[in-house]
Amino acid sequence: MEHDDGVDEHDTPAEVDATFRTLRRVAITHVVLFLAAVMGVPALSLTLGWWSGGRLAGGMSPGFAMAAFGLYAFFLVIGLAAATLSSAVEARMLGGRHDDDNDDYPADGELP
Amino acid sequence: MRTGSALLAGTICVTWAVVYLVTQVFVSPPLGVGTTVAAGTVATVLLVFGYPSALRGPRAATALRRWSRRRAGSEAPDGREAQDPEGRGAVRSRRRIVAGGRRMPLRSGLTADAARRTAELLRPLLGGDAVVITDRELNLAFVGPGSDHHQAGGPVRAAAVRSAITKGRTVVSRRASNMGCDDPDCPLRSAVVVPLVVGARVVGTIGVFRTHDQPAPRDQIEDMASILSLHLELAEADRERKLASDARLDALRAQINPHFLFNILNTIASKSRTDPDEARQLLLRLSDFFRYAVRQEGQLAEFAQEYFFVRTYLSLEQARFGDRLRVRYDIDPQVLTAHVPVLTIQPLVENAVKHGLADKVEGGTVTLKARVDPLTRTTSIRVVDDGVGMTADVLDVLGNGSSPDRGVDGSRGAAGARGGVGLQNISERLTTLFGERFTLDIQSTAGEGTAVEVRVPLR
Amino acid sequence: MTVTSAGTLVALIALVALVTLVVRPRGVSTVDFYLAGQRVGVATNALAICGDYFSAASFLGVAAAVYVSGLDGVWYAVGFAAGFVPVLLFVAAPLRRFGEFSIPDFLGRRLASERVRLVAVGVVQIVILSYLVPQAVGSGITWQLLVGRGLPGLSAYATGVVLSTAVVAGMVAFGGMRGTTWTQAIQFLLLLGALVWLAVVVAGSGFNYSAAVGDLSAEPLANPVHDDTGWHLQPESNHLDPTAPATFGQPGAAYGPLAQFALILTLVLGTAGLPHVMNRYFTSPTGTAARMTTVWVLGLAGLFYALAVMLGTAARQQIAAAVDDHPWLEELTVDGILRVPEHALPVLGRIYGGDSGLAVVAAGALVAVMSTIAGLLLAAAASWGHDVYERHINPRATQSQAVWAGRASTAVVALAAGGLAIAMQPADLTPAVPSIVAAMVTWAFAIAGSALTPVFVLAIWWRGTTAAGATAGMLVGGLVSVSMFVVGALPVGPGLGQMLVTPTLVAAPLAALVTWLVSRATTPPDDVERQWLVLHGTAADRHAERLARLTIASLGTTPRRSGHGTQRKGERDADR
Repeated sequence: MEHDDGVDEHDTPAEVDATFRTLRRVAITHVVLFLAAVMGVPALSLTLGWWSGGRLAGGMSPGFAMAAFGLYAFFLVIGLAAATLSSAVEARMLGGRHDDDNDDYPADGELP
Repeated sequence: MRTGSALLAGTICVTWAVVYLVTQVFVSPPLGVGTTVAAGTVATVLLVFGYPSALRGPRAATALRRWSRRRAGSEAPDGREAQDPEGRGAVRSRRRIVAGGRRMPLRSGLTADAARRTAELLRPLLGGDAVVITDRELNLAFVGPGSDHHQAGGPVRAAAVRSAITKGRTVVSRRASNMGCDDPDCPLRSAVVVPLVVGARVVGTIGVFRTHDQPAPRDQIEDMASILSLHLELAEADRERKLASDARLDALRAQINPHFLFNILNTIASKSRTDPDEARQLLLRLSDFFRYAVRQEGQLAEFAQEYFFVRTYLSLEQARFGDRLRVRYDIDPQVLTAHVPVLTIQPLVENAVKHGLADKVEGGTVTLKARVDPLTRTTSIRVVDDGVGMTADVLDVLGNGSSPDRGVDGSRGAAGARGGVGLQNISERLTTLFGERFTLDIQSTAGEGTAVEVRVPLR
Repeated sequence: MTVTSAGTLVALIALVALVTLVVRPRGVSTVDFYLAGQRVGVATNALAICGDYFSAASFLGVAAAVYVSGLDGVWYAVGFAAGFVPVLLFVAAPLRRFGEFSIPDFLGRRLASERVRLVAVGVVQIVILSYLVPQAVGSGITWQLLVGRGLPGLSAYATGVVLSTAVVAGMVAFGGMRGTTWTQAIQFLLLLGALVWLAVVVAGSGFNYSAAVGDLSAEPLANPVHDDTGWHLQPESNHLDPTAPATFGQPGAAYGPLAQFALILTLVLGTAGLPHVMNRYFTSPTGTAARMTTVWVLGLAGLFYALAVMLGTAARQQIAAAVDDHPWLEELTVDGILRVPEHALPVLGRIYGGDSGLAVVAAGALVAVMSTIAGLLLAAAASWGHDVYERHINPRATQSQAVWAGRASTAVVALAAGGLAIAMQPADLTPAVPSIVAAMVTWAFAIAGSALTPVFVLAIWWRGTTAAGATAGMLVGGLVSVSMFVVGALPVGPGLGQMLVTPTLVAAPLAALVTWLVSRATTPPDDVERQWLVLHGTAADRHAERLARLTIASLGTTPRRSGHGTQRKGERDADR
């Protein structure tokens, strides 16, 4: 069982700043990838005839398929990737008092 | 080719297969050959750039907890900690009383003199009227009211202390009758006594007494006791030369010098009046620091764990130096799960603080930059300070690695003054681990600062 | 409107109203009113965000836009779904950790300025109003189709507008936030259920998605127009390649080259500035939970819009094919094409499910409208009651006075939105854009994305942001986007006009630049480092999670430490 020692946890400014900048890097790389995909679909339809002229499985063009469901799957994947990465980075870069060390904290131990 | 490159190569192959299927098989008419090759090339380039970028990194949130768990499962290599795999909580509850009570004089760890200094420091910090530090039979130091009959060097007189020694766990007594001093005029009424433990043995106690019935805060004293216990353990391990061949011990000895403990305790003692909450935080961090240093086993640890150790250390130093010490971390998400040699980064940072910035009046900034290059399979760690720096000849001595009197902390050559012991030590350990496959670069300019960069293979 | 459809509709709406009443909070403190105690589970909260977010524009509008313009209408779905990715990356976790009531509250405290707070209140009100109007329009259109009759003295359209706003305003004022959090979630489930049901029956009837797109693309896209000669079909001009006809499966039917990007960017950036969606983040237990909530929302949104796009396509094909068998379609269509594209889903529902089918889709639409209106009115009440009334008009307000201020502002905002919706006859605007409802929502996204999002993201991620910079940025973003609308309403040549009604592409970078420049010239608040600890640190989250674990442990087997348990019982949900 864990022991609540009644002390609020603290982060130091330097630690928070480090996490902040790492997360900012994570967010910016993800947003670049995201914008490339979102803008890439209409951009390809402007530049590549095959993208909206080809026929996928009997009628739909690759561009229509991307806009109709491919992109939504991509949003979910990139969102999940960014969320898990950000949370894992935070868990590793902040805090770190190992609560499970206190598993056997003695609840008794006082003399009668 | 190691696993990381194989992963990349595999992903690229799969990408080409997908590009082929999508453009040539599923869609009619198929995309022109030139455009298909261009699309595949663009995808490949994106993958190669994405591979070392911040898109990759840890995904699971089970962070730092792992090290204590993994340790618990592994066999203790030297048997010394075999009965105590958990940490300080377990120390208190699972320790066994050694029959016959082998006497363990605290001669090198906590001498009577060191005990007295410690007790004086701790008395305001722990909120007691009197503080006693004992070994198994004698009072080593006693500070506060009642020192006339509880004199240092004399036998243990309080029943609570004897009870703590034999039971091996914290004893709290709220009444003078339970406290059990045999002197009826004793002014002390309540007591909290916590045993000091090395391995599985109770080697002494620290007790905090008050002249009224409300005992001192137990948690704080237990934290303090665990710090002292760890320190004693370290001192004992140091003394027992059977471990001296272990390079890890050299590193520990170089890092955790008594001055550091006393400096930090001084800081905490002064903060305990102005900002008790922060003092308590620092005490917890100090406890984390020593626990990590002593309990860490194996040669490699996840960077996130070493980073935890470094920031714990630096937050303690920042409490001491205040605004004079500024810290900047620059850490790539991918590096968090890379494995690095244990206890190597903190000595570099400590050198930067101790030798680079401590002597500079206006203070300065320590920067820790950690990166992974998954394509060349290297982890690079760079510690930069803008402190006093070194002159070229001192740097030469360091670079030759010819520090003549390596070993104990007392070595004070020109190189030793700039942390030669730590660097020498780290260099040797890296050689043992990686052979020629690492680099350790030092660049320094007198008056402008020092940069130390370690590159090791990515594990 | 038959007895069957009336019965189904009434039953579904009654169910929602019942849930609202059952979970009505007992205590009426301001905190209870605005926030459901900050411990709404991640899944519930994700559903509630969806209930707020998926409005008439999503349910009727996206399908209608696809119905009219084909691939160019799909961009609406893409943009609406994509909006949560920037929210997840830049806003969700820090916003929750800072823990304020609303967007103006956040900006006001972060930048330590009451002026920023008031300017933000102004922008938020404009966004809310421009989001409310299309919802009211959507409910008017639905009523028109479903009932076809109005109350005495009102047209059918106006009756729908008045009834929906009045009912929701009443529910918000007397249900409180807790009620609407759960009803938002349940309403979204009903909405999603209606959509899934429709998709299943359409797919079950042998509908081939890919082949349908191919068939529809085989001939030029033509839509009904009304002029002197009456209703007739007119081919859409191709904005990308004027020599070729526009087709369903290819871009160009509605937007020129630049306008496509402008539309998507407008929707992507707008979501992060929508007050009713962002307010919902303050009810997540931790920052990490807020992030995971957004991942859920992304998944649900993807499912929702993929279905909506499919159904828009299906409507285009199936309604044309069904005209012969269903004589009632005559008066709604011209050569098999619907006159009002928003009717696409309800008509599809009636074709496949008869009168009950129509009622299910209509209930979905009304519920989408109501849940969004509720979220918007609540956000309006929060910013008026909390940011303006309690802070500036009556700082010593009692709890009940604050609650009544919130209720009064709810009524006023609802009244304004209803009035504007009646004043704007949708028939006048329909030819200009693919779907009037979807397009009107775009205006709200544009103002939010131009005026709020840049300032918001900078305040979270840049220490140097100052109050003066934020004020200037919000004003510039808001004024530029509104004036571009105004210019866009004038005839300015093809392509450019569409660009102007989606002004984020220009206004957002401009607002960010102005914020940056003005902030550089002024000094940021002194305590920015301390705020950074709250905004980006996880200490409070860890503490909450630790207490939650402790509570669970102490509730289990160990009565001797139950002191922790009873004291922190409330934190139990925080670990989800």
